[in-house]
Amino acid sequence: MRVLVVEDEKKVAKALREGLEAEHYDVRVASSGEEGFFLVNHETFDCVVLDLMLPQRDGLEVLTTLRKRGVHTPVLILTAKDTIDDRVRGLDSGADDYLVKPFAVPELLARIRALLRRGRPDQILKLQQGDLEMDLVTRKVMRAGHILDLTVKEFEVLEYLLRHVGHVVSREMLTRDVWRIAARATPFDNVIDVTIARLRRKIDDSFQTKLLHTVRGIGFVLRRERG
Amino acid sequence: MRLSPPSVRTRLSLWHAAVLAIIICLFSAGALLFVRARLYRALDEQLRQDLATVEKVYREETGDLGELDNRMGMTLFEVAEGQTVIYRTASWPPPAAKPYRTMTTADPAHRVSVARDETALRQTLWTLTVILATGIPCAMALAMAGGYLLAGRLLAPVGAMADTARRITAESLSARLPVENPHDEFGRLAVVFNETLSRLDIAFEQLRRFTADASHELRTPLTGIRSVGEVALQRPLSTQEYRDVIASMLEEVDRLTRLVENLLLLTRAEAGRIPIKPVVVDLTELVASVSDTLRVLADEKNQEWTVDIAEHVTAACDASILRLAVTNVMYNAIKYTPNKGEIRVVARRSTIGDALIEIQDTGPGIAVTHRERIFERFYRVDDARSRDTGGVGLGLAIARWAVEANGGRIELESEEGRGTMLRIVLPRS
Repeated sequence: MRVLVVEDEKKVAKALREGLEAEHYDVRVASSGEEGFFLVNHETFDCVVLDLMLPQRDGLEVLTTLRKRGVHTPVLILTAKDTIDDRVRGLDSGADDYLVKPFAVPELLARIRALLRRGRPDQILKLQQGDLEMDLVTRKVMRAGHILDLTVKEFEVLEYLLRHVGHVVSREMLTRDVWRIAARATPFDNVIDVTIARLRRKIDDSFQTKLLHTVRGIGFVLRRERG
Repeated sequence: MRLSPPSVRTRLSLWHAAVLAIIICLFSAGALLFVRARLYRALDEQLRQDLATVEKVYREETGDLGELDNRMGMTLFEVAEGQTVIYRTASWPPPAAKPYRTMTTADPAHRVSVARDETALRQTLWTLTVILATGIPCAMALAMAGGYLLAGRLLAPVGAMADTARRITAESLSARLPVENPHDEFGRLAVVFNETLSRLDIAFEQLRRFTADASHELRTPLTGIRSVGEVALQRPLSTQEYRDVIASMLEEVDRLTRLVENLLLLTRAEAGRIPIKPVVVDLTELVASVSDTLRVLADEKNQEWTVDIAEHVTAACDASILRLAVTNVMYNAIKYTPNKGEIRVVARRSTIGDALIEIQDTGPGIAVTHRERIFERFYRVDDARSRDTGGVGLGLAIARWAVEANGGRIELESEEGRGTMLRIVLPRS
């Protein structure tokens, strides 16, 4: 999978490149709108990460021109402006998704995965990780054959973690996607931490292999690890 | 080069003088015309008498016309019958060098003309004109000088106010203009100006405190990030230690991000840039949903969490914004209520129909001195403790804005040691 990152801030560009490469993407970085535009026109990418504030050529302008030329590569825009107007303008110009700076890299990775998955309907009825199983139809969760009694929120959190299995999920992602709260200024971190702690008690406490891990400073991840 | 516009004082005295000049000129012209008309009427009266005398002598004793001339001193007349002159005094016709006024009666048979010297009359008029012409400018000069002085005295308070106002800057906003008489025009001006200054003073003070608080709050996580990083680089660490350092830095970044989000929200809110779209909202549902979300936190602290929601409590408001307020208030209640405390959430309608959301806790309560200020940005009752619990001190400020933006108000009832009740009041829609 080839990803083009158009970002003029060197540090951010480097971090994005390394983050994406760690996920086995083939990454090209353009440091100006001009260069990004040139690359999209001459090479094929599966996804473009486009910063809106760029020297020479504004990101929105690049995007509009690309879309006019019939380039349909999924584009995720990065912006420091987060008013509703700015978002609408970005999406109207043909962006497929946006992230507001400062963003969490795990979230960016999740969004890119979602963009690349787009169009491929996933009719998953069961999620599984090791001996942990989740039946999405009966809403039953089992670990090593034992049924676990989860609350609705715990179930949703676990489902979200299972869908992102092996990838770190940030608190912001959980706030927005599980609790469905858009306001970034609400104190939900504690709610998330408590819910995760309870979930962990239920799925991990009586087992040798721990599945739910906290990645301090970033978020949570579901993966097999001896703890 | 353009002249700068004259001062108010000069303009005032010039206007005063101009109006006075017009009045004096009109008055003088009137007086002159009146006197002139009176003098001429008197002269004409004399001429008519002369004419009557000559007429009488002519009819009765034509031969005595010479007597009139020689003895009675009527030296200027002429009597004629048709083309024939019967009598004419020696100095007739009056010499053109001097001004004379002539009067004539005539019928087909005869014609009598008399004349009188009007030099004296003209002299009088001239003298009067001269008096007026020299008097007016003098009067004008006096009036102007007087007006200028008067305007100066009148405007002196304005000048004083301007001087004081000039000395008042952002740094000395506590200074006030002197008010001599608060009921006259200038006094009212000064009072109004002072009131404006007071408001400015308060606004500046708040801004100053806010800036200081905000930079302090921003600096704390920045210092954390920096010192953790610096210390980590002083000696080689194990991978796990590096991970801890980075994680610790990321935690501070998280805090910084949250702070910036909150500040942005408040700044936008105060600039009126957050659109409020009021619709009829079922508060029952909103309160229940927020309560469900936050309940785990109360459970974790073994707090007793009671929800008492009446049915169909509705209000016209923007649900997403009101949710911010309810969330922040409930969150605070959980945060400040000790383990095993009680929190009671009530949604009901007041007797006058307002929608009420009450959140009652059994926390430490808020001392009277803090009650006014807990809704201020960054205001904390207990600095150290709040910081430990991870708040940034903006929750209630946001809550108040969110409620007020929806046309409501927040009421606070608190008893130290017993607990606090925050009531969100939304007027009936």
